[in-house]
Amino acid sequence: MERAVPLAVPLGQAEVFQALQRLHMTIFSQSVSPCGKFLAAGNNYGQIAIFSLSAALSSEAKEESKKPVVTFQAHDGPVYSMVSTDRHLLSAGDGEVKAWLWAEMLKKGCKELWCRQPPYRTSLEVPEINALLLVPKENSLILAGGDCQLHTMDLETGTFTRVLRGHTDYIHCLAFRERSPEVLSGGEDGAVRLWDLRTAKEVQTIEVYKHEECSRPHNGRWIGCLATDSDWMVCGGGPALTLWHLRSSTPTTIFPMRAPQKHVTFYQDLVLTAAGNSCRVDVFTNLGYRAFSLSF
Amino acid sequence: MSSESSKKRKPKVIRSDGAPAEGKRNRSDTEQEGKYYSEEAEVDLRDPGRDYELYKYTCQELQRLMAEIQDLKSRGGKDVAIEIEERRIQSCVHFMTLKKLNRLAHIRLKKGRDQTHEAKQKVDAYHLQLQNLLYEVMHLQKEITKCLEFKSKHEEIDLVSLEEFYKEAPPDISKAEVTMGDPHQQTLARLDWELEQRKRLAEKYCESLSNKEKILKEIEVKKEYLSSLQPRLNSIMQASLPVQEYLFMPFDQAHKQYETARHLPPPLYVLFVQATAYGQACAHMKSSSQPPRQDKTLSVAIEGSVDEAKALFKPPEDSQDDESDSDAEEEQTTKRRRPTLGVQLDDKRKEMLKRHPLSVMLDLKCKDDSVLHLTFFYLMNLNIMTVKAKVTTATELITPISAGDLLSPDSVLSCLYPGDHGKKTPNPANQYQFDKVGILTLSDYVLELGHPYLWVQKLGGLHFPKEQPQQTVIADHSLSASHMETTMKLLKTRVQSRLALHKQFASLEHGIVPVTSDCQYLFPAKVVSRLVKWVTVAHEDYMELHFTKDIVDAGLAGDTNFYYMALVERGTAKLQAAVVLNPGYSSIPPIFQLCLNWKGEKTNSNDDNIRAMESEVNVCYKELCGPWPSHQLLTNQLQRLCVLLDVYLETESHDDSVEGPKEFPQEKMCLRLFRGPSRMKPFKYNHPQGFFSHR
Repeated sequence: MERAVPLAVPLGQAEVFQALQRLHMTIFSQSVSPCGKFLAAGNNYGQIAIFSLSAALSSEAKEESKKPVVTFQAHDGPVYSMVSTDRHLLSAGDGEVKAWLWAEMLKKGCKELWCRQPPYRTSLEVPEINALLLVPKENSLILAGGDCQLHTMDLETGTFTRVLRGHTDYIHCLAFRERSPEVLSGGEDGAVRLWDLRTAKEVQTIEVYKHEECSRPHNGRWIGCLATDSDWMVCGGGPALTLWHLRSSTPTTIFPMRAPQKHVTFYQDLVLTAAGNSCRVDVFTNLGYRAFSLSF
Repeated sequence: MSSESSKKRKPKVIRSDGAPAEGKRNRSDTEQEGKYYSEEAEVDLRDPGRDYELYKYTCQELQRLMAEIQDLKSRGGKDVAIEIEERRIQSCVHFMTLKKLNRLAHIRLKKGRDQTHEAKQKVDAYHLQLQNLLYEVMHLQKEITKCLEFKSKHEEIDLVSLEEFYKEAPPDISKAEVTMGDPHQQTLARLDWELEQRKRLAEKYCESLSNKEKILKEIEVKKEYLSSLQPRLNSIMQASLPVQEYLFMPFDQAHKQYETARHLPPPLYVLFVQATAYGQACAHMKSSSQPPRQDKTLSVAIEGSVDEAKALFKPPEDSQDDESDSDAEEEQTTKRRRPTLGVQLDDKRKEMLKRHPLSVMLDLKCKDDSVLHLTFFYLMNLNIMTVKAKVTTATELITPISAGDLLSPDSVLSCLYPGDHGKKTPNPANQYQFDKVGILTLSDYVLELGHPYLWVQKLGGLHFPKEQPQQTVIADHSLSASHMETTMKLLKTRVQSRLALHKQFASLEHGIVPVTSDCQYLFPAKVVSRLVKWVTVAHEDYMELHFTKDIVDAGLAGDTNFYYMALVERGTAKLQAAVVLNPGYSSIPPIFQLCLNWKGEKTNSNDDNIRAMESEVNVCYKELCGPWPSHQLLTNQLQRLCVLLDVYLETESHDDSVEGPKEFPQEKMCLRLFRGPSRMKPFKYNHPQGFFSHR
């Protein structure tokens, strides 16, 4: 099969290095600015890039509009999670959370507003923070990651108020259940745990891998993604993507997807989900019927 | 009334019968022969006004008579007819009168017209005369102006001014008394004087010419004297040679080289001068304890035939005779030996690509006694320089199979500067010359002519700017000097890195990754995965591999690179690594693309950990460079690859559904097996603690 050969540009050392960096770059997190015009993306080198959505989506967009407006080194390690409040961007990397002012970030050489590290048990290796969750009613931030605990931080004072322990392996993802209020966390140990924020205790545990319908031992037992809609929950990862009824802790629908799912979200009455290894975003209705796929 | 009119009428009528009135008849007789009645004459005599009255009267009578006839007819009766008849006759008479009047009127009209016509003709004749006279006047006026404008040639000559003329001219020419008054004579005199002056000047000119001839002859004589001096000086120089050698001043040798250098074309001359200067500067900078002239890392020499170089500038007289002879020959043997078009074109091509007979040789000596021999040529018609390279080592090199291209003369200097592949001519004007003789590109001829790298042109001081193509590009010393040091350093680094690779390849082909002792700290003590194969791969084959698509699409896999395939094995796991080696190694790192065959085929498109392994080797290469000049980069990368495969296989999570122990028990010390949302394996090795962690 003949492949079209692209022109080899005379590359010096710097250009080759840049090209290699970009080939091996992974973007782990993203967040839209409160005004909706900008998108922040965090990658595995610890850099955050700000893109102008209004310029890139406008009718006169050129190639330069798709390049970042500003890029800066935010953390030493990969930026696994980012979330936006109405004025700040919170980014989490290797064991620390940093806050940036959206209004300041577009200028070059901006510095973080503050940088906080939750209290860790061991100091041998700094655990990563995989998920950030905002609780607007309390004005607090929940962090979870490599040290297997959920930490709550008050955004006004910066102090760490609660520590929720229970997972036996590191935590991948968090979801918020508005009604109770409760937090759901899914981890590498294969369990989805529900925590009550007022009592700071574990309320319910669902060990997904133990259910035969959805477990897939060859993929492992880890839970990579969680989404909840108060009565319902969708989770997936090593086991198959499954829709659970929370009160009865029973799996109701198993979605027929082979690859381990990395991201899932509820949207009105639909479930949108994406696996990291394919180019598709699949859209399901609650009944397990795949409505269609969005594809790159 | 009627009787009066009838009386008047009747004489007329009677006249028409032949009883003319006296006056009128006489006139008509005198005018014409015989009794001939002329109405035309009569017209002159009658009065038009009275004729008009007569006409009116006749018309009235006619009307009256008609009315009476009408009356009579309407009345009727016997004697009416007679009355009617009478009146009828009268009417006829009236009619006759009318007719006559009519004729008279016509004749009058005709006469009037004739008179007008005559008068008009006369006027026309006068008018014509007037025109003729005017035309003549104009003509004469023109002639007069022409005469007035006439310039005689004598006015064009710049004559000396009047005062000067009277001052300088001898009296017999100037003749003041006559000329003062008469301007004509004055001008004549002045012209005479002009002639005199010119004759005198012509004489002076002949004299000066003969003077000049004399002086030239004297110069000739003196030149011969001087030229006879030269051989005498030479013999003195020869005699002094032994003295020079005794004093360690090879003045003469250097002098000879400079002599030959004088015949070099400008770019080669620039290169020669700059390279010699650089070589001397390097020698000076070494410690002064060493005797001079011995430790030369750069030596410059000129090769080739000086006579041929001199012959280039002689007028081709002999060759013209040869041409006429060969033409005669050709005419005799026409059909057989007429050169074909292809042969003619070939000759033209050879002519265009002709090299200057002299070339400059540079020998770069490196620390380990290996030498890079560079021979620089100058292509005269194309105004570019080319270079041929050869590497010789102190000891004989056994070339491993995969290292065939590393030191080959064709590719050892490729891409010394990024993108400088030396396959295209750097002079844009050459394209037009090539089109004329049908040369597509210079790359077909580089094997015999040498490579026209851009740095070679710069060393010769030739600069071909792209934006403003210049008519003539001349060799510039400052351009050469500014590039000399960098280029020499790059050349040395290139040779040494290639030689290092050469040695390493020999080891790699035997399955041993040669890690030097000062790089051991980068790897754990125990590495189980082994390199089993190391071969070269063709460029096209590399492009066809399914796991190299990313590198190809990023434009990093050009045809100037070297491509290799390494195979690392442990147990049932086989890891293929496709390697792109850039000619600019080791400043530009080699690029690895991996494909693991173990429980299925895993590449960077379906397994994030494979991608992380590639990143460890490609992106984090700076850690693996080792001590400067980082010749250990490739071997360190290969060793790290083996370590990474170990980690990958040992940290693979055990599938609970499958029975039996793990194929690879975990021996590496890892703090955590998985980290982050992508669940990466711990690939980073920490020294000296010896455990693995995540980046």
